[in-house]
Amino acid sequence: MSMPGQSRASRPGASGGSGPLTDAASLSVYARDASHLALGRPAAVYLPAGEPELRAIVRQAARERRPLVCRGAGTGLSGGALPGDGWVVLGTSRLLGCGPVDPLGRTVTVEPGLLNERISALARPSGLHFAPDPSSQSAATIGGNIGENAGGPHCLRHGVTLQHLRRLRWCDARGEPAGTGRGLPLERGFDLVSLLCGSEGTLGIVTSADLKLTPDGRSVATLLAVFPRLDDAVSAVVNLLGSGLLPVAVEIVDQAMLEAVEKAFAFGFPTDVEAAMILEFSGAAEETAGDAARAADLLRRGGARDVQTAADEAERLALWRCRKKAFGAVGRLAPSYVTMDVVVPLGRLPLLVRDIQDIKARWGVEIATAFHAGDGNLHPGVHYDDTDPEQARAAHAAADAIIARALELGGSVSGEHGIGIEKLHVLPWMLDAESARLHHEVKTLFDPQGLLNPGKLLPAPGASFAPCPEPPESVDFQWESLTARAPASACLADLQSAAMDRGLWVPLGAWLPRPAGSWGLATAGTVGEAVADLVTGPVLGGSGSVRDCLLELWAVTGDGRRFHTGAPVFKNVAGYDFTHALCGSGRVFVEMQAATFQLRPCPAHLGIWGLKTAGGVPLDWPALEPLLRRLRERPNQPGPVCLVDLEAPGGGTLIVTAPGRDTDWDLGALGRLVGECARQAGLECTAQAVVPFRDGPTELAARGLLPGWAAAGSDWDLLGLPAGAADPGQNVLPVRLRRAVLQADPWLVWTPESVTDPAPWFADAVCRGGRAAPLPRPAEDVPAAYLRGLKRIFDPDGRLETPAWLEEG
Amino acid sequence: MAPAMTDGMQTELRTLLRSCVQCGLCLPHCATWLATGDDVQSPRGRLILLDEILGGRADAAEPSFLAAFDQCIGCRACESACPSGVPYSLLEYGQDLAFAAAGSPAGWSSGPALPAPLIRRLSSVRFLRTAAAAATLASGLLRGLLGPGWRTRLARAPGGLGRLPRLLGSLPRSPSADEGVVRLLNGLIAAAAGAAAGRVEDPSPSATVGPESRVASPDILFFRGCANEGLMPGTSRRLLDLLRRCGCRVDVPQGQACCGALAAHTGDGRGREDRHRRNREAFGPGPAPADGGPWILVEASGCGHELKSVPGELAGEVLDATEILTRLSLPPLRPVPLKVAFHDPCHLRHGQGIVAEPRRLLRGIPGLELVEPAEPEVCCGSGGAWGLRYPDLSGILARRKAENLAATGADLVVTTNPGCLGQIAGALADVAPGLPVLPLTDLLWFAARKG
Repeated sequence: MSMPGQSRASRPGASGGSGPLTDAASLSVYARDASHLALGRPAAVYLPAGEPELRAIVRQAARERRPLVCRGAGTGLSGGALPGDGWVVLGTSRLLGCGPVDPLGRTVTVEPGLLNERISALARPSGLHFAPDPSSQSAATIGGNIGENAGGPHCLRHGVTLQHLRRLRWCDARGEPAGTGRGLPLERGFDLVSLLCGSEGTLGIVTSADLKLTPDGRSVATLLAVFPRLDDAVSAVVNLLGSGLLPVAVEIVDQAMLEAVEKAFAFGFPTDVEAAMILEFSGAAEETAGDAARAADLLRRGGARDVQTAADEAERLALWRCRKKAFGAVGRLAPSYVTMDVVVPLGRLPLLVRDIQDIKARWGVEIATAFHAGDGNLHPGVHYDDTDPEQARAAHAAADAIIARALELGGSVSGEHGIGIEKLHVLPWMLDAESARLHHEVKTLFDPQGLLNPGKLLPAPGASFAPCPEPPESVDFQWESLTARAPASACLADLQSAAMDRGLWVPLGAWLPRPAGSWGLATAGTVGEAVADLVTGPVLGGSGSVRDCLLELWAVTGDGRRFHTGAPVFKNVAGYDFTHALCGSGRVFVEMQAATFQLRPCPAHLGIWGLKTAGGVPLDWPALEPLLRRLRERPNQPGPVCLVDLEAPGGGTLIVTAPGRDTDWDLGALGRLVGECARQAGLECTAQAVVPFRDGPTELAARGLLPGWAAAGSDWDLLGLPAGAADPGQNVLPVRLRRAVLQADPWLVWTPESVTDPAPWFADAVCRGGRAAPLPRPAEDVPAAYLRGLKRIFDPDGRLETPAWLEEG
Repeated sequence: MAPAMTDGMQTELRTLLRSCVQCGLCLPHCATWLATGDDVQSPRGRLILLDEILGGRADAAEPSFLAAFDQCIGCRACESACPSGVPYSLLEYGQDLAFAAAGSPAGWSSGPALPAPLIRRLSSVRFLRTAAAAATLASGLLRGLLGPGWRTRLARAPGGLGRLPRLLGSLPRSPSADEGVVRLLNGLIAAAAGAAAGRVEDPSPSATVGPESRVASPDILFFRGCANEGLMPGTSRRLLDLLRRCGCRVDVPQGQACCGALAAHTGDGRGREDRHRRNREAFGPGPAPADGGPWILVEASGCGHELKSVPGELAGEVLDATEILTRLSLPPLRPVPLKVAFHDPCHLRHGQGIVAEPRRLLRGIPGLELVEPAEPEVCCGSGGAWGLRYPDLSGILARRKAENLAATGADLVVTTNPGCLGQIAGALADVAPGLPVLPLTDLLWFAARKG
């Protein structure tokens, strides 16, 4: 879209092009945002039209030592985008570039000013969408979403913004361009994506992002349940998720919020009930219908007066419109409000809801609440009249009381909105002193002059910080909260086994053949190894990496200081995300002490299909490629993991394995697809079985399907295609391997053969002799100075491993 | 000169303003924000400025404030989008405040592209009629002289000449003669049939529209409207023809005037009131009698919005043509196997809240496939006189609208407001030559015609 230069000239003080705007109107408007907070009046506003211009503005601000704040659409609620007196405001609303959607790689590259909702609109023709959907998504920019690590209702199943970033291009405090690596789903190293995402513009400015897109559900079922009692509604969510159902979203709106929404949209919600719940299932038609029926039954038994299914797409969209615009509709309740975004472990949600009732009574305030209930995340809004100082005082005291209570229950001060300036006073309540010190050191490393959004996010030095919580000494399951805490030394397989007894697991079943011929976790024997090495095998039944199911971390720096980061909750944007940044960083920066994982419903079954050519004709790649491509496109379900062994006796074998919930519509359908693909490729099916998921590895060996793999040895290389490098559909394999394990989504290849980088593919020698290999050299766009600086912060004396590339320079 | 605001009004304004929670959800619906990416040119930005003035933190005469208010098109898309129900019409008071403080008549102090007296002339029926005829002639001549792409070429010309295509483009060019409409649509149908050989055509000869309250022989008073009467005389005649075939008794009251909207656009409050008075005399002063009285039919949505803005002013129920047509039993409609995109005029969608009626009428035409463009709620940038005063912004918005309409793959665009029709036709000529724009009633007349 073209942008006008001339029209701006009609505003006095506005020069042509992209600024600076210094007129009174600009300085007044850009001093405010959706947070209702105030900090100061900027000196100038810039709206750059391209990345070079953006960097020039940052360079100039650095030269003039002028603080700078980046702003998207100004929909943030914690004051993160507010300027102080004399600052420069850098608006991204004209950075609207966007690359073509890559339907096979499921990615798209976008500039920061693009509106969140627009991304899904662009991806829709490819059957994809951008899953993070903050309620402000119609106006909020992706740049702002990344800065705050935004969530949204549909993050329950799909994860928050961080889990949808493959790679970032950013500009540092000096205005220099930088990247974050190759965008491989299992890229080992200190993860700058995790560090920058949610850093509220205090470390760097994102100039473009490679986003992960999510396949649309083939069918969607949206339920509306009304509960006479709010307590029942909240308890029903805990029971529902504990029963093994995983909706894409579970939202609750309480009575006060219902009234506001009804005034705004006249949807026809009953206002005589304490809560309405919106639930959404997505997947295969049989799956959503079955899940919706089971959920409706559970909810009715849990106290729902009425459960209805949205009749059509229009009704579904109307429901979501009511929910998503609820926060704007609160303007109908009172002129001012303070909205929180606390999050607690799911099992503690009923306790917090009860306590909020007490707080309400004690402070004599009105509170309306919308819940991302499945996440344990809630937005209690305390309403008041800001012309009455007494009311304002009570409202803020009640808000602090709610936050304090959420922390006592093991939660976080912020699940979505960020710290900004709004929660600076409560952040120390949950950070330990060591973690706070690391925050400041990292900030100084990236922004030595303190010019990038100063005074935001960082805990005040000298504040009274929380004590570092004690790490768990043994595996500790919180079944109602769907979390598992474990010391680094705990055996991951034991943890998984105990979880599977309850129909749950940590979705990182990384399986590679072991030297002994059996199957199991390749190198990630312990929890600590899994976290440090990012689990170096194909993820069967999951679709991400350890980073996606890690919630909380205890670690020790090289000089022996223990710190704690994260929280046992599904969303957390309080401070820098060291939890995910350190995950996969090997043993270079810290030593892992303990971790908390999120538990998910475990697949019930594993489908196994063994294929080979007829009549002893050797199996070859040209025959396999179209087959693998089609299996990869299997929509909505976790992609299969395929084992190719061209050395196997009798001309080579292909083994397809896939997790499934059901033997009929799920694995049955996949079986038919495998059969059809095999016929087309001239292959015959020699084995076919559906076995209990957890017995998969032993079953494969017991059926004699892996004769050649025992000889494969214990060295493994991982091959991956960097984000945006090429169409992965055209590159099933970069080199003609004889033995390979292929993971469909994301597309990764493990091989026991030693491979060097076959450009544009990247090869990582993940496993040598059964142990994790040293961290690979990072991509060239990752500034080495920052990595060396991080090493100095976390391991000042160099007592931990130091790869050769980190010592250079 | 705008009237000074009393203390009571200021207090009331402040109360209204506080219903804005600054959530920003209005931004992506605001045409000027979309065109500039500048928060000052957004509904929230303008409300913040108003708040600054009322709070005594800023001088109402500050020129940059004045400009921000003046650049609001007044499309009210923000009002439709606002979850908090902020009455954005209060921005008009902001305008009044600012212009009163600046000591200049509203709307004409911030360097518009055309001088005020010229735009004032646009309120005159006679001027519009002459201009329409001249524009049609001029467009034809220029196309003949400069060949295809003449608009683009001319737009690059220096000075006032470069503005000519936009001026011309803002005046509608739909066929005025019945044969012209028939020829255009038959041509489109033949082309669409050729392009999509095998597209299933609905062979059924007729369908009726408007199930709920059919009136056998209602009395209708026809509001002529200056713009469409001047610019689309054939269209009004065809609508009358259609109404009579539905069994309506249609009368065109004598002495009626312009609705007053154009006078309001140019900040001429007295001119607006004068036209309201003349219309009260022509249609009979309100309120309507207990039985509802006759229907006062308004063809252009801009006029409808203006006439409905003073409820109970006239002795009948003011209704948009689409509202009336959905209430009538239409004659049998012949198939029109075309893909049609409807453009919502802001005064219809946001001003009058009419969204379903035009679509219901279109879906009632056999064989017609209705396609929805992206951003249906965003203004096309015509905005009455606004487009002439901010030609650059208006051009960006026209292009954006044309691109969204063209992306639907439609064979034909229909709308109900002459201002939008001209604006979109002008932009489509560059973006998607060959994609025509017609008044909705012309299409209905075509489907319902005999023979």
